[in-house]
Amino acid sequence: MEDVKPTKVIDARGSYCPGPLMELIKAYKQGKVGDVISVYSSDEGTRKDAPAWIQKSGNELVGVYTRDGYYEIVMKKVK
Amino acid sequence: MSPSAKKVLILGDGAAGTMMGNKLRFHSDPSDIQITVLGNSEKHYFKPDGVSIPFGFKDYRNSVKPTRSLFNFGVNYVRETVASIDVKNSTVIASSGKSYFYDYLIIATGDRFAYEDLPGYEKAASHFYSLEASLALREKLNHFNGGKIVIGQASIPIQCPPAPYEFTFQLEQYLNLRGIRKQTELHYIYPLNRVFTIPNVAPFVEKLMDDKGIIIHKMFNVDSVEPEIRRLNSIEGETLDYDLLVLVPPHRGQKVITESGLADESGYIDVDRNRLNYADYDNVFVIGDATNLPISKAGATAHFETEYLANRLANEVNGNAFFESYGGEVACTTITSGSRAITLFFSYNKPPRVNYESKSDYFLKWTSSDTYFTGMIRGIM
Repeated sequence: MEDVKPTKVIDARGSYCPGPLMELIKAYKQGKVGDVISVYSSDEGTRKDAPAWIQKSGNELVGVYTRDGYYEIVMKKVK
Repeated sequence: MSPSAKKVLILGDGAAGTMMGNKLRFHSDPSDIQITVLGNSEKHYFKPDGVSIPFGFKDYRNSVKPTRSLFNFGVNYVRETVASIDVKNSTVIASSGKSYFYDYLIIATGDRFAYEDLPGYEKAASHFYSLEASLALREKLNHFNGGKIVIGQASIPIQCPPAPYEFTFQLEQYLNLRGIRKQTELHYIYPLNRVFTIPNVAPFVEKLMDDKGIIIHKMFNVDSVEPEIRRLNSIEGETLDYDLLVLVPPHRGQKVITESGLADESGYIDVDRNRLNYADYDNVFVIGDATNLPISKAGATAHFETEYLANRLANEVNGNAFFESYGGEVACTTITSGSRAITLFFSYNKPPRVNYESKSDYFLKWTSSDTYFTGMIRGIM
């Protein structure tokens, strides 16, 4: 993770799903191939939903990290 | 009108703007607060009835009132289209060229259908998010005699997140009543890994869909539509052919919001989630569908926002202490069959509890346009 610098960071802590995933999909649609998008979420559902969406959409799940009171989910836009 | 009265300017004559003006009037004295609402709608449409009108289950004429008739005495409603908003100089300029100065500004400009975000949409799809669209869909359904119907939403966010499933359940009932359910495949697409935004409600809705034989496609985010061959393609790489496509159009905030520099291209305004202020402006607020708050874009959301903000402004102007904060409260009742509905209450920090379908909730929903026009929009509840 330390080697991958996010192009965009979305701080969605404090909001319930679908807020964080909505933000992630929005960033994905507005982004370009090669962008690395990081979303911070304190929502347990997003920890599962976001990786599932990243994988189903054919993009790269860089990682899911447990931070201090929140999760960080990182994806790379490959299509 | 007292010359010392604070000028409150509200932009928008939809649910949020109208409720705001009426509620603030109830909470304040005209000698303290002068209220002006700018809007350009001749008619005010009760949007929740859109899930019933395409089937002829509701008479659309009861879902529409003249906008001007909905404002309480003491609210100055002006038919104007907002051309630009200058928060630095506390000025709003209308298309007529007239400038409006304010002490407090409340932006309730709602959102719009961004058809341009999905090329081919208007040729391919029907929807039920405006009265005109609902009536056009009613005409299409009158001539529908079986086939494959795909229902869903083109993007996130949309107004009233439960509306797509609510429409689907009523469509299923309609097809049964017409005796063409067996000749019809119903496909429900949804952008998330479930059939509804809220995780603990989704299984309940999914079971209802399974029981009714509705085919579900999760994580289907619409990428493109091909009207000529009646095909829908997803970002995730799936395709679905259809005979009738009922797709909630893409949404964005109003162009004037972006053009005035208040939001990015999405048109939704960043707002303090507990105070509803725009940026660092103590005298500028945003309510209703215009915000980018992570809660439902719905009249019920506006109801709670306006309750908070009307109380706050009335107290602030009078120099009273006001310590409450807005908690993101939402309440919504949605139809699940021909005689049942569910009601969900939730907020930023409290997910909804899963309710059971009930006839009383159905009655609540069925009479909601009356409740809305006689009570909610008037600001008396």
